[in-house]
Amino acid sequence: MEFPTALVLNAIIAGLLLGGFYAALSVGISISFGMLDVVNIAHPAFIILGSYIAYIVNGWMGVDPIVVSLVVSPLFFALGILLYRIYYVCFERRGQESLRGLAFFFGILFITEVALVLIFGVDYRMVRTAYSETTWRLGPVDFPMRLVVPFLVSVTMVVGVQLFLTHTFFGRAVLAVAQDPLALRLMGVNPTRVKGLAFALSIATAGVAGAFLIVIQPVQPAIGREYIGLVFAICVLGGMGSIWGTLLGAFVLGIAESFTSTFFGPSWAPAVSFGLLLAALGFKPSGLLGR
Amino acid sequence: MANSLHIEGLRAGYGAVQVLEGISLHVNDGETVALLGTNGNGKSTLMKCIMGIVPLRTGSITAVIDGIEHNLAGQATEDIVNLGIALIPEGRRLFPRLTVEENLLLGAYRPIARDAIARNLAFCHEVFPRLAERRTQLAGSMSGGEQQMLTLARALMTAPKILLIDEPSVGLSPLLVSHIINQIRDLKERYGLTVLMAEQNFHQAIRIADRGYVIVHGRIEYEGSSRDELSNNALIRKLYMGL
Repeated sequence: MEFPTALVLNAIIAGLLLGGFYAALSVGISISFGMLDVVNIAHPAFIILGSYIAYIVNGWMGVDPIVVSLVVSPLFFALGILLYRIYYVCFERRGQESLRGLAFFFGILFITEVALVLIFGVDYRMVRTAYSETTWRLGPVDFPMRLVVPFLVSVTMVVGVQLFLTHTFFGRAVLAVAQDPLALRLMGVNPTRVKGLAFALSIATAGVAGAFLIVIQPVQPAIGREYIGLVFAICVLGGMGSIWGTLLGAFVLGIAESFTSTFFGPSWAPAVSFGLLLAALGFKPSGLLGR
Repeated sequence: MANSLHIEGLRAGYGAVQVLEGISLHVNDGETVALLGTNGNGKSTLMKCIMGIVPLRTGSITAVIDGIEHNLAGQATEDIVNLGIALIPEGRRLFPRLTVEENLLLGAYRPIARDAIARNLAFCHEVFPRLAERRTQLAGSMSGGEQQMLTLARALMTAPKILLIDEPSVGLSPLLVSHIINQIRDLKERYGLTVLMAEQNFHQAIRIADRGYVIVHGRIEYEGSSRDELSNNALIRKLYMGL
């Protein structure tokens, strides 16, 4: 089999761009699952909700979907606070978070999905932006703007989250909260408040990732399910609770997927991605950058 | 300004089990008071009660911080810490997957501690040079003695006025215990702390204690108002020296 240079370069660049987008999908899971021990399998539902909100506002006012998502991110943040409050009062406080909490988030996933189906139907929706049709060319390599713009905003967001978590008092408390909540209280920190705000941050990132999704590809309500495996795989591959790991894991899976699709056909892409995950965990069980 | 701790008629326990059966004690400003007792007599439970981790059933716990009296009963642990009371818990309870420096900086979470962060961090590094060398190492990968140093340093980063120490000697070699006890004395003197220290190791505890209490089955069985009194007490000689 031959690997022409132009195709290889294009596959790598497309993989990097895709990886940047995957990082936005996964950074929230890296916070909730990796740092807070909250197994929020409803995360993709909030991504799809973000897609539809961007779609509605774009159709109504013509505002760019990514701008919409950034403007409405405080609403997602508030939704996250409310959701964690319910989860905490009903499950976590009683020590029933492992199974019933999981069922709770599963329910949220389905309720959100069904609500979107009832309102919008099952048709695919897409948003056309000013840059949707634009592609920059650098020699033989293509840079489609519908991937480049989400990539840039996503990497900025993920790096911002990382800096926030490692350079602020609150961020360090988020890193510590699942390791020993009582020890955190002995530092004068309320662990429930820290978890609530960090969970809200994770939901806010989902809303923004939703806008990227609808810029990149058409969206229908059940499409979130396709991403559940991917986001958890990236989180585990990168290393639980490591944002740099999540970014690296997203790039690795993005490039692997793009390479496989280009040379062996798209149907092999998930198999290669998850094979890579298993191989990486075999050599380093804590993930690429896990502590 | 004066900092002290006063406990009256404290009863507490877990579920149907009553552990503390009416404890009364006090720690005056600037004192180091030892709480002596063998395992299972309620020392740790008393520490947890003061910090609001185990609720009290009857009795009262009050602390005077900078001359202002606070009722600690029913307060959340984090609020008690924010008053200026720190606990070094049994078993150290570090954040194992955070670095030494991240552990120390978490200690300085309360607003007053943030203001003093540079001074306190420099001080911790001066007293425990090992922690400065291992700034970027994960806390969970350090030796027991180093972890105990980090626990002490992290508690100091909260800029406390009253320091509670629960069994600093657990799991350490005799030489290290002696070293840690010396450091507690030095820190206490430099910071002007008021200290209540629970310890099974009588000989080490008595080196730095101004006075002490012996707790047996959840009751204060003996109160010694000086080191000599404690050393010559019949109950202590029976419990600790086998005489």
